[in-house]
Amino acid sequence: MPAASPRSLPALRQLLHERFPRATPGAAEPLATGVPAIDEATGGLPRPALTEFTCAAPSCGSSLLLGALLAATRAAALRLALVDADDAFDPDSWEPDLLEHLFWVRARGAPEALAAADLLVRDANLGVVVLDLRHAAPAALRRIPSTSWYRLQRAIESSTLAIAVLTPVALVPSARVRFELGSSSSLPALSRERPSLAAALAPALRRQRTGTAFAVAG
Amino acid sequence: MFAVLHLAHFPLQALIRAEPALADRPVALLAEAARGAPVAEVSSAARAAGVEPGFSVPRAQARCPGLVVRPRRPDLEQEAGAALLAAAFGATPGVEATLPGVATLDLSALAAPRRGPALRLALAELQSLGLAASAGLGPTPLLALYAARQAGPGTVLTGSREWIAPLPLAVAEPAPDQAAILADWGLRTLGQLTALSKAEVTHRLGRDGLALWERAAGEATRPLRLASPPREFAAALDCEHELETLEPLLFLFRRFVDRLALDLRNAHLAALALELTLRLADETAHTASIRLPEAVTDPDLLFRALQTHLETVRTPAAIAGVRLKVAPGRVTVRQQGLFDGGLRDPHGFADTLARVAALVGPDRAGRPVRTDTHRPDAFKLEPPPPVLAPLAAGFRHPPRGLPLRRHRPAWPAKIELAGRTPAFVWTDRVRGAVQACDGPWHASGDWWEPGRHWRREEWDVELADGGLYRLVRTPADGWFIEGEYD
Repeated sequence: MPAASPRSLPALRQLLHERFPRATPGAAEPLATGVPAIDEATGGLPRPALTEFTCAAPSCGSSLLLGALLAATRAAALRLALVDADDAFDPDSWEPDLLEHLFWVRARGAPEALAAADLLVRDANLGVVVLDLRHAAPAALRRIPSTSWYRLQRAIESSTLAIAVLTPVALVPSARVRFELGSSSSLPALSRERPSLAAALAPALRRQRTGTAFAVAG
Repeated sequence: MFAVLHLAHFPLQALIRAEPALADRPVALLAEAARGAPVAEVSSAARAAGVEPGFSVPRAQARCPGLVVRPRRPDLEQEAGAALLAAAFGATPGVEATLPGVATLDLSALAAPRRGPALRLALAELQSLGLAASAGLGPTPLLALYAARQAGPGTVLTGSREWIAPLPLAVAEPAPDQAAILADWGLRTLGQLTALSKAEVTHRLGRDGLALWERAAGEATRPLRLASPPREFAAALDCEHELETLEPLLFLFRRFVDRLALDLRNAHLAALALELTLRLADETAHTASIRLPEAVTDPDLLFRALQTHLETVRTPAAIAGVRLKVAPGRVTVRQQGLFDGGLRDPHGFADTLARVAALVGPDRAGRPVRTDTHRPDAFKLEPPPPVLAPLAAGFRHPPRGLPLRRHRPAWPAKIELAGRTPAFVWTDRVRGAVQACDGPWHASGDWWEPGRHWRREEWDVELADGGLYRLVRTPADGWFIEGEYD
């Protein structure tokens, strides 16, 4: 007796994935970030998937997080592309060895950054793409159609790429995981050792979709 | 043993190679561009319509109203000739450019079983370069030439004295008066002529008769005037019609790249960079040098690099001519280490970088490298390294504090001071009372260079509403927020 017909696109995808598991690539292991709060919650950045970090407060540690990703990818011999919509990255803040594997794109606003990210996520040589939209103009962010985010997700489905998106507010509908960085650092943080600051980051998990990319896509 | 690669109707093939749309149309090629020049070559469609070489243009057009009449294109013929030599050099270094469309190869250094495959490979190379060639093998250059001319496109034919005997006398190219005399004698084939005594033929027809007899016998051999392999890997072309779109330009470059890649492979070299020149109709030129991530001979990869660049080019005028030069180099062989960070797809990466650079600007993407100065925000962008150096063992002195998110340009600020320390900050984006601050830290540099001297005073401030910022005062610009500690 034939099985009941799937009633929606996600159900059809799920059915196809169950019937033909080899036709749909399995997810790679998450990329450990070195930030305990993230690694304990989700194992790291899921791959291939988008992870959104909403930065709800100033000095919330998004650059510290970027530093943790730089260190994690450097240790794993992966390349990291930073698409910087606001041209805010400061090379002076980092040890040269941590910048060896970084490809920095100094975009001029969110549309250009998104276009650059769309090119980069298709490259097989990159391990992580960080799209920094934290200080992008709110109007420009509102104009990004949701299909753009699904397009990014589709582009990496057959890869092992992780995309991290830094946003001022929850913005990415296709994000599998969303963390919120909500507390500001205080002045004494400027005299502490940076590894301990990164270890003390406490992003709050706001969303975690489980299952394969197929289940998420709908 | 000799071989000949032969391109029948060479001037016509050279033209159609650059304009494939003419392949199925009746085409007549004039001997020269001058007015009144007769038809020199005709395509098979034109021949079927009754047009023959030697016709005047009006006569040819009267026979075939849809006839396409074009002058010969020496530049296209030169490029097609270079392609022919490239294919020939793939089989043997002993190559003679005998005639336009004819290359004679000395295959004596090639074992007999390998000669046929080598020639078939050369024919396939020519086919991929858009040229239909035939090949002949023979104990003398002349026999090989006769065989090549008799062979069909894409085939290899072996010539011998017995084989040429039944061929018509026209194969030996007698002068018209000689042909008439021999016809009167009742001679129709090469074998019938060579059956006569060489001395008797010489006695009756003179030295020209002797030469004809020897050509008919095909036995005379000669040393080849060997051509030198190309030292410069370049191709150029003047466009008959100015190009305004990308598609025909890419077609031309594909032809160039295929031929140049073959030249490089023959020389056991690889392309390190491509130098491109587009000559424009307004007598300016667009030039570009495309550095390749790895030495490469694959025409697809070379073409992809070119295409990626050309898709980003906008010229102020139509393109009147093109030139492509390849910077050659030795192929580097490197064994991938187990733990090194080499690129999985170097050419794909170069392609991606080129596209990103085209989008944001070439000076706005790359690997940041700090420059040797204390001047703030001094860095340069370099291309990403093809291989990542191993990670240095830990930091002896771990960095302290939060990294900075720079504001480019910095945010001008108004500051209320309490004594000498900032107490309140106003900018267009943030404002608030200063809850805590550290500073000032003074820095200066480049005082020895006129016009580059800089001096600044920095404060780290924490605002009451949250947020850590670097506040800077300079003599020239006053106060501003340089960035946010994050």
